[in-house]
Amino acid sequence: MKRFLVFIALAIAAGAAAAQSWPSRPLRLVVPYAPGGPIDISARLLAAKLQQPLGQPVVVENHPGAGGNIGVDMIAKGPADGYNLVMSAIATLAINPSLYPSLPYDPLRDLRHVTLLVQVPNVLIVANDLPAKNVQELIALAKQRPGKLDFGSGSTGSTGHLAGEMFKMMTGTFMVHIPYKGSAPALADMMAGRIDLMFDNLASSLPSIKSGKVRALATTTLKRSAFLPELPTLDEAGLKGFNMSTWWGVSVAAKTPQAVVDRLSAEILKAMDAPDMKERLHGMGSEAPAIRTPEQFTAFVAAELKTYTELVKRSGAKAD
Amino acid sequence: MEGIWNNLGIGFVEVFKLQAVTMAGITMTLPFNIIMCLIGVLLGTLIGVLPGIGPVATIAMLLPVTFSLSPVAALIMLAGIYYGAQYGGSTTAILVNLPGESSSVVTCLDGYQMARQGRAGPALATAALGSFFAGCVSTLIVAMFAPPLAEVALKFGPAEYFSLMVLGLVSAVVLAHGSLIKAIAMVILGLLLGLVGTDVNSGVLRFAFGISELADGIGFVTVAMGMFGICEIIGNLEQKEHREVFTSKVGRLMPSKEDFRRMIGPVLRGTALGSALGILPGGGALLASFGAYTLEKKISKYSHEFGKGAIEGVAAPESANNAGAQTSFIPLLTLGIPSNAVMALMIGAMMIQGIAPGPQVMTERPQLFWGMIASMWVGNLMLVVLNLPLIGMWIKLLTVPYRILFPSILIFMAVGVFSISNQPFDCFLMSLFGLLGYVCVKLGCEPAPLILGFILGPLMEENLRRAMLLSRGDPFVFVSPAKPISLGFLIASAILLVIIALPALRAKREEAFAAEDT
Repeated sequence: MKRFLVFIALAIAAGAAAAQSWPSRPLRLVVPYAPGGPIDISARLLAAKLQQPLGQPVVVENHPGAGGNIGVDMIAKGPADGYNLVMSAIATLAINPSLYPSLPYDPLRDLRHVTLLVQVPNVLIVANDLPAKNVQELIALAKQRPGKLDFGSGSTGSTGHLAGEMFKMMTGTFMVHIPYKGSAPALADMMAGRIDLMFDNLASSLPSIKSGKVRALATTTLKRSAFLPELPTLDEAGLKGFNMSTWWGVSVAAKTPQAVVDRLSAEILKAMDAPDMKERLHGMGSEAPAIRTPEQFTAFVAAELKTYTELVKRSGAKAD
Repeated sequence: MEGIWNNLGIGFVEVFKLQAVTMAGITMTLPFNIIMCLIGVLLGTLIGVLPGIGPVATIAMLLPVTFSLSPVAALIMLAGIYYGAQYGGSTTAILVNLPGESSSVVTCLDGYQMARQGRAGPALATAALGSFFAGCVSTLIVAMFAPPLAEVALKFGPAEYFSLMVLGLVSAVVLAHGSLIKAIAMVILGLLLGLVGTDVNSGVLRFAFGISELADGIGFVTVAMGMFGICEIIGNLEQKEHREVFTSKVGRLMPSKEDFRRMIGPVLRGTALGSALGILPGGGALLASFGAYTLEKKISKYSHEFGKGAIEGVAAPESANNAGAQTSFIPLLTLGIPSNAVMALMIGAMMIQGIAPGPQVMTERPQLFWGMIASMWVGNLMLVVLNLPLIGMWIKLLTVPYRILFPSILIFMAVGVFSISNQPFDCFLMSLFGLLGYVCVKLGCEPAPLILGFILGPLMEENLRRAMLLSRGDPFVFVSPAKPISLGFLIASAILLVIIALPALRAKREEAFAAEDT
């Protein structure tokens, strides 16, 4: 913790010296989705928190469309002056490049990744009437009834869908994908027993797990979640190396000066570490991400991009 | 029964509770929750009146502010915005034919006609009173039957939704009062427009013509404001003499005794239908106002007046949409499932406050659960008290000369449409739909069936394909005896179709005979 504080202090000092004039006017934080989702909510929390230390208002703007690509492209092609920020996410940085054949931006070449804000594990949940009580029983059941089990997801090409495809690949099973518009209707169909399983964002399925309406079998990250500490990870349950999470953060145009990126990163990290903000982000299912610096975030994006390019190709999912 | 009164007691105590509030360094003892409720319904009314700016965007923007409040106060305020918007939405629909929300499209049909006849006052009052009654009754339904009704909601799967949408679509034809063929054509055009955008199953783009703004489909508000609002302005400007027709006749503010007599039935039926459809998380509430209007048009003895300013045509849909707005809290409160985007935001607000929505809220935090329900009742009362005196003011608006009124309406519409996704493209699209609406009016085609087709099309397709995926391609899932609800809806659709077709055919023959006579 001490080292972090020293690091932050140093980073702020360095940043302040190099980019003295920045910011001299209001900042714009683009949310590439319609208002109301978790990414939008966290953007608004962050914007409110950044205003004071930056001494400038941070204005949240929603530019939805094409799975988030429109808003991200706007920042990728926009001025690299540090006044234009975007909420980037696993979809726009790691999945869409292979899902959309003609993505207008390159997530590594056109953007600089500043800070990873939220990282939430996915969780494998099954309908209550499904006989499988753990991951091994589920695999056995899927092998016993090939093509009979249905797995839902929030949309084609969502993390939930791709986690399901990964599960199928690693276990050599075949299940049918049923796409929904958002995970809530999928969850409702699972409560009624119409679909058998799904990989859902921990935050959205936690209430249903806690109330016993659906049964959780495992989480999808290498580390157990603090929200469900008794629940094994898929890695522990025999699917070695299964590691998928939903994440989002802040990115800027590629040519944004280093000093501005450093200052921005330091301020965002400081905002995230404030107790009230920490509590809010925790409420969204996020445990403080281990990835902190812009360099770590960029390396993480590159690694995720590689994983999902492979996965999307093998699953055959696509969008225009 | 006793339990309910006890619980409502807890709720009302929570709503009216005095709290020590520190503001600007001064600590005061205030009934803080009730103040938040008032702020919520005021804001809701305001955004309901402003076209385009809906409750979703407002609640999203206010979320960070609510985090400093107690969970009860925050949720009471957010809920107030939601049902307050339902009240406000009818105002512009009635006054200037501008539906801001999907729920107020139907109100345009007869509400605006009433306003043209100088009966804007009674129309607005009917909307407010109908909404109030529906709000009270459905709040009681939420309080008494929430858990068992949630189980009913779960009975609705893709097959059931599809069949319900079929019924809705068939009834869309009833919405029009002109030619049957033209109504069907408009429904189909609406369905086609609804197909624009990304396909849910494959992710493939359809009918987007390489325009990235169309990737997520055409916005509802864009279509509705174009087809109703802009089209109406063009139509008004076209008629030189009658343009300022509003100014001469403002008429009375309150409905007459006759009006009250005529609105009782529609309000009761609208409330019942709205409460029932509101429970369904998959777009049931959308159907509420359309369904209520159709039902009244079919059974009312004044059905010939529908579309020409029948008070039933305002009372029924307005009661239905407010009832639906209240009962759509049931899946949220009992299952933790949001039935629409506003409810999803409420879940977000609860979770960030550290509350997991679901059935345990009722037992673990009775103050929150019952406080929220009691606040809906109080909020509805506030809304009606607020809105009735406002009617006088709204009507004054109609005395503004049209040459000043119409540019202001246009600007409000453009700002509203732009604010949805910050795209100038949407404003162009709205203008295009205005032109399309004008052409349709000239051809004697009415926009209401198109709007319903546009809303239902994507939902229908989604549920049809999901049902087929789940059944592995067996089309009999919709009519199998294992799914009695789905089968029932399809039978009802068939019966409705016959009822619609018969008089139309008879009318055709009468027309033919009449033509021979002359």
